[in-house]
Amino acid sequence: MLDGLLDGYTRSILIFTGIHIIAAYSFYVPFKTGQVSLGQAGFMAVGAYAAGILTVKFGLPFPVGLLVGGLVTAVIGVCVGFPALRIKGIYLLLLTLAFAEIVQVVILTWEYTGGAQGFQGIPFNKYTLEYVYVIVVLLIIFFARLERSSLGRAMDSIHEDEAAAEVMGIDVVRVKLLAFGLGAFIAGLAGVLFAHHTTYVDQVSFSILLGIEILMFAVVGGCTTYWGPAVGAAVLTLLPELLRTLRDFLELVPLSWTDFFPMNRIYDFMYEFLDFENEKRLIVYGVILILMMIVRPQGLITRDTLRPLQFLQQRTGHV
Amino acid sequence: MSEAGNSISLRADKLTKRFGGFYALKDFDMDVAKGDIHAVIGPNGAGKTTFFNLVTGMLPADSGRITFEDEAIDDPRPSRRTMRGIARTFQNIRLFGQMTVLENVMLGRHCRAYLSLWKALRNTVLHRPLGEAEEEREMRGHALEILDFLGLSDERHAKATDLSHGKQRKLELARALATDPRLLLLDEPAAGMNPHETEELDDVICSVRDRGITIILVEHDMNLVMGISDRVTVLNFGTKIAEGAPKEIQDDPTVIEAYLGEDVSL
Amino acid sequence: MIYQQLINGLMLGASYSLVAIGYTLIFGVLGLLYFAHGEVFMVGAFVGLYLVIHAGANIYMALLGATIATACLGVFAVFAAVRPVSKDYPLAPLISTIGLTIVLQNIATYIFGGQTVAFPETIESILFHFGPVTISSVQIFTLAVAIVLMVLLWLFIENTKMGRAIRATAENHETAALLGVNVNRVVLVTFILASAIAGIAGVLDGVKNSAISPFMGLQVAIKGLVVMLLGGLGNVRGAMVAGILLGMIEILTAAYLGSSMRDFFTFAILILILLYRPTGLFGTRTIEER
Repeated sequence: MLDGLLDGYTRSILIFTGIHIIAAYSFYVPFKTGQVSLGQAGFMAVGAYAAGILTVKFGLPFPVGLLVGGLVTAVIGVCVGFPALRIKGIYLLLLTLAFAEIVQVVILTWEYTGGAQGFQGIPFNKYTLEYVYVIVVLLIIFFARLERSSLGRAMDSIHEDEAAAEVMGIDVVRVKLLAFGLGAFIAGLAGVLFAHHTTYVDQVSFSILLGIEILMFAVVGGCTTYWGPAVGAAVLTLLPELLRTLRDFLELVPLSWTDFFPMNRIYDFMYEFLDFENEKRLIVYGVILILMMIVRPQGLITRDTLRPLQFLQQRTGHV
Repeated sequence: MSEAGNSISLRADKLTKRFGGFYALKDFDMDVAKGDIHAVIGPNGAGKTTFFNLVTGMLPADSGRITFEDEAIDDPRPSRRTMRGIARTFQNIRLFGQMTVLENVMLGRHCRAYLSLWKALRNTVLHRPLGEAEEEREMRGHALEILDFLGLSDERHAKATDLSHGKQRKLELARALATDPRLLLLDEPAAGMNPHETEELDDVICSVRDRGITIILVEHDMNLVMGISDRVTVLNFGTKIAEGAPKEIQDDPTVIEAYLGEDVSL
Repeated sequence: MIYQQLINGLMLGASYSLVAIGYTLIFGVLGLLYFAHGEVFMVGAFVGLYLVIHAGANIYMALLGATIATACLGVFAVFAAVRPVSKDYPLAPLISTIGLTIVLQNIATYIFGGQTVAFPETIESILFHFGPVTISSVQIFTLAVAIVLMVLLWLFIENTKMGRAIRATAENHETAALLGVNVNRVVLVTFILASAIAGIAGVLDGVKNSAISPFMGLQVAIKGLVVMLLGGLGNVRGAMVAGILLGMIEILTAAYLGSSMRDFFTFAILILILLYRPTGLFGTRTIEER
């Protein structure tokens, strides 16, 4: 559909941005009930491998893989979510981390899907970009509805004060399980899309680093509103790309502006500095992360950020 | 005293709760008549809040039985007890601070509006992609009614934490009422209220009772307690030391002794 | 065979212990999962390497240099990524220290390249045979340094005023502050201590394995987390023992069940501990909802 408009590189960047947004939402759902998970990369792996088995070993079409991959991950998610109900905070963080690591071991040792050689020959899905953004839009609609619904409020109340929510008649156990399973489902979708775009996955694709990155997307974007994870994932994925192009922007500066003593040195220094190889770019990325947390520890987007837009919602008849 | 005084709303039977070697509540028996305002008083640490926690399931009892409307309460989960019709407020206000006043009350309504999680998911999110589910509208209407009743409707869009202390206490009450209780446990509802607000609260509690809701009241303000209670139970060190009409309690020597040294005038 | 494996486990475990001690100190005092701790370990190793190669330092100078460098790094971390970040948002300091992790790792990659680098021999390798067991002088040296460090740290925490302040803060922030403990200073000292120990552990690791890489931090960081939990959050003695225990378990499973089972076991144990003994193997304290 968009073939003619985008070159392969841009297309790829957009696809990864979209997959990261989906992954960030998978973190957001359990977080809405106060559950912090470092294991979303593990769920992505489950989805990727489950769907990969269907499409590679059984030759089933991609949409079937996508759906079944997501559902299998949701089931695994509920299985992990059940013991996770007993623990909170840092303990839950470590539990989900352990889950992700165990998924790694399984990937590494399971010869059926290639083991340490990785899962090869996954069919390439031509329409990944379209799939990704349709899912992103559906998710945003879903979360917009959820935020204004009773169920969403029930989730928020559990985040704020679990015991009080329970006393108000909220079935905390079920709501938390639902959130965890739903998060896993969304992560599974992200994993399936990822695998059928790269056509090759191994344990490195879903390492603990990815899990940390997903947490970063959501926290940097802000988790008090559903726009946060999407913005966080988009900003953090595009930021390195942006840094890459900074030098091109510098070249646009007219020569006459910089062709005298202090400015030419500064220009040369900047030009030299903005020669962003990989490591340098990541150093800057790390520094920006730290600065963001100092300046906006609550995340880029909060409810207060969106307040000016609220008149839009009020006009649609919500008292 | 109400006319339904012969039928029992809540019965505690040899209720015991230990924390280590310390008995917070020991062999505690109590009958609460339907339609009564039943006060539970006692010095600090006498076990009043523990009693509430046992009734609502926030803490498991070590032994003893709780019967609600002639049926034993077995399910330990607080949410199930709320569904059965027992609601409470908290001594240390536990509102959902990030939500608005209206949202807090609607949250209390959640358990009545949606009997299953799937229904909640389907009706609010999937069923009608645009506009609002029928349940949400009903919930809002119901919540507004309660806010009206308690005189909080002007603040319905304020954040819960932005309310004054007295209004936060009222909001706690509103949220508990939204769960449609038949038994309401009020844990020091007048704490931190000024005399005017306390007086207002007096009327509110009575009108809640007049809606047919049985009330158990833990309160330190003896004027309030003696003014509105039908019966009073006195706890000290986890055991019941007296029970009776307010007048009897006021003249009971054991009660006066228990309160000696406390800055409370009966 | 089994004795040899136990010795190997002890070696591995000692470096886990050193890293986990720092984690647990920082967690105890700040309630913060200090993600950059593995990178501090890595930086220590590279500073040691740099001193040996470019300054011709011997192992003692390398250790000293790495200690000073990582202690400074600890101070830097406090002022750059911990203190300025609001504690009202529990995940914010986590992210800022992850940012620090990324910075440190990529500075190392930038300077030394992304490959594994050989760590030159700094101690003459002599093999000692005790019956069926063979121990090299390098192993004895690293183990000795690790043990001396742990004993010194233990004495410091038990017997000095600052040590008591650290313990008090780990027990309860507010109370410690009320009792006149300067919490800011305690945090700073804790970071210095933890970082210095991790730096030394990094050099020892380089000496022992004769190879280091800029990416060695993550694995160490994760294992350190596991050890911290096994030992009980905030429990220094627990971390020491649990590190050695985990080292032994890993080496034994790798030897008898295959190396791929090693991590599986580690994390299966972690899950069981989390679910059934969240206070750790020796923990008596409960830190709820941290």
